[in-house]
Amino acid sequence: MKARALPGYLYDTLTRLFPHRTRTGLRAVGTPGPDAPVLVTGNYTLTVRRLTEHLAGFDCWLLVADSRGINVWCAAGGGHLTHHDVIAAIRTSGVAERVRHREVVLPQLGATGIERRAITEATGWATRWGPARLEDLPAFLARGSRIVKRWRFMRFPAWERFEMAAVWALPMTLVAGPVFGILGGRRVLAATLLQVWIVVPGLFLTVPHWPVRGRGRWVVFAGAAAAGFGLAWGVLALLGGVSGGHLILAAVASVAAVGVLAVDFAGTTPWYPSYVNSFRNTPAITLSEDRCTGAAECVQVCPRDVLAMEGRRRKVRVARPDDCIACGACIVQCPEDALHFRYPDGRVVEAATIRSTRLNMMGRRTVHVGPGGPAR
Amino acid sequence: MSSFVYMKVLESAPWRYDRGIRWLSGGHIEALWQRLAERAAGPGRRVLDIGCGTGGVALACAALGADVVGIDMNAEMLAVARSKTVAADAGGKVEWVELGAAEIEDRFAEACFDAVVSSLALSEMSPEGRRYALRVAWSRLRPGGLLVVADEVRPTDAAARLWQRTRRAPLVALTWLLTQTSTQVLDDLAGLVREAGFTQVRETRPWSSDLAIVEGVRPAEETS
Ligand SMILES: C[S@@+](CC[C@H](N)C(=O)[O-])C[C@H]1O[C@@H](n2cnc3c(N)ncnc32)[C@H](O)[C@@H]1O
Ligand code: SF4
Repeated sequence: MKARALPGYLYDTLTRLFPHRTRTGLRAVGTPGPDAPVLVTGNYTLTVRRLTEHLAGFDCWLLVADSRGINVWCAAGGGHLTHHDVIAAIRTSGVAERVRHREVVLPQLGATGIERRAITEATGWATRWGPARLEDLPAFLARGSRIVKRWRFMRFPAWERFEMAAVWALPMTLVAGPVFGILGGRRVLAATLLQVWIVVPGLFLTVPHWPVRGRGRWVVFAGAAAAGFGLAWGVLALLGGVSGGHLILAAVASVAAVGVLAVDFAGTTPWYPSYVNSFRNTPAITLSEDRCTGAAECVQVCPRDVLAMEGRRRKVRVARPDDCIACGACIVQCPEDALHFRYPDGRVVEAATIRSTRLNMMGRRTVHVGPGGPAR
Repeated sequence: MSSFVYMKVLESAPWRYDRGIRWLSGGHIEALWQRLAERAAGPGRRVLDIGCGTGGVALACAALGADVVGIDMNAEMLAVARSKTVAADAGGKVEWVELGAAEIEDRFAEACFDAVVSSLALSEMSPEGRRYALRVAWSRLRPGGLLVVADEVRPTDAAARLWQRTRRAPLVALTWLLTQTSTQVLDDLAGLVREAGFTQVRETRPWSSDLAIVEGVRPAEETS
């Protein structure tokens, strides 16, 4: 990375929880010719920045679709990046005049919203899924745009966990700093900020070792809040500022910091199923075997290696159900509508519903649009 | 008039859209739908509504006897539109199609509409998407056909612009929290319409300085 790009990069990284729109349309990476591959992505500034950087040395086209300034994963899940947006990008960018071939590489994490077949039907362009993570794009391109199985799967490596920690700790600092500084003075400020910057990274760095998905997480969150409070108390003691009022402020700060994370800790990565969207009611991915024709479109998009193709039987199998994050990508892509979600309370959500509903804090996938209008 | 960013929240919960947009528009939304319909629709006229959402404009057009197609790329919004009924006596009808603005050419022949309407949808598109949509609208209109679009725009005087910014800020934040997105305010809607090849372009702002209705005509004689 060039030093000149560093401030922008840091800004984009630290504010990555917010949408950042960058210019949509076609961009050249290197000096691409008419046969160079076309990689589709969303118009989230940080992703485009990272792509340009990781693809240094390659000649290819970036087709930046309108994902409303949101990263591909969240945009596709939330209905902000669909095949309609990819079709619009192909049509409005002039890419057809720049390349001789008619194929785009789609970001695999967009599979919850982008229906491949619709793109080909509308534009005649062929599509293929690229790797789930952009770090693997150089190797993917070096192999002539052919995928290797392990590039389909998400990871949540330590550097990324650290980055997420910083991304959460920073806004907490910006909010907590003035509030606790004004209410409690310098010593309380020091204690609460130190607490935030130890407890938040602590949770992210240790997450592979505690039960993110189970009820046990409440013990961990409670423990983290208690540890944060203990830490703040220690700092106050060192600075000679222990008083009833200060301790109450420290307690509020530590509960607030952990509380904010607890809302959707799992949703910070496609590695876990988001709490907000599944709540306690986590669906099981279910296959109607009689409908399965072994197209294996689902296997190509599952970011958690849940599904496996049984070559001899020409059927897909839900091989590792416990790893499923309920993203729905497999359901959206299945040409036979053979996959669906089954909730513990017996409700079944079919492919048509998954395709037409979007996930965010207000629209959940369990909405039911039926005769007489939608109901909840 | 309140700001329209919050309508993004409404779109993510489409069953609340109508109530919400009524409130956001200070009660003007029905009047807006009606005004667009009165300009564009009439008995037997074929009308296209781009980004029809829950169907406000399209249904108002059908109520005036028009034969309407409402397109939207958000299936949930369309589901709400479908649940509504067309006033029977006027003889109009509506067809709802899940379609993006850039896909209009796949479904509809050139010069097949008497009017194209679009309300609060252009501001949600990318700049290229907007230009493309207006050009496609032009090509699907018969020569002499009418375009009527309405959207949130930037007021021309500085004080009103500042007031718009201030009012939008909290709504932008709230909308982002709930839906992780927001809409944009258009700078020069009339200019865009002109650029797409329309003539006799007229702009009105009947209720407030930040909501514009722009009309344009596809010239009857090919000039270019
Ligand atoms: C705020 S709603 C307006 C709905 C309705 N016209 C009204 O006035 O109440 C905007 C609608 O435009 C749709 N929309 C935005 N961009 C679009 C595009 N490129 N193609 C089709 N529909 C689009 C959205 O899905 C949404 O339903
Ligand atoms: S199996 Fe689960 S994790 Fe894999 S694509 Fe389907 S819903 Fe997503």
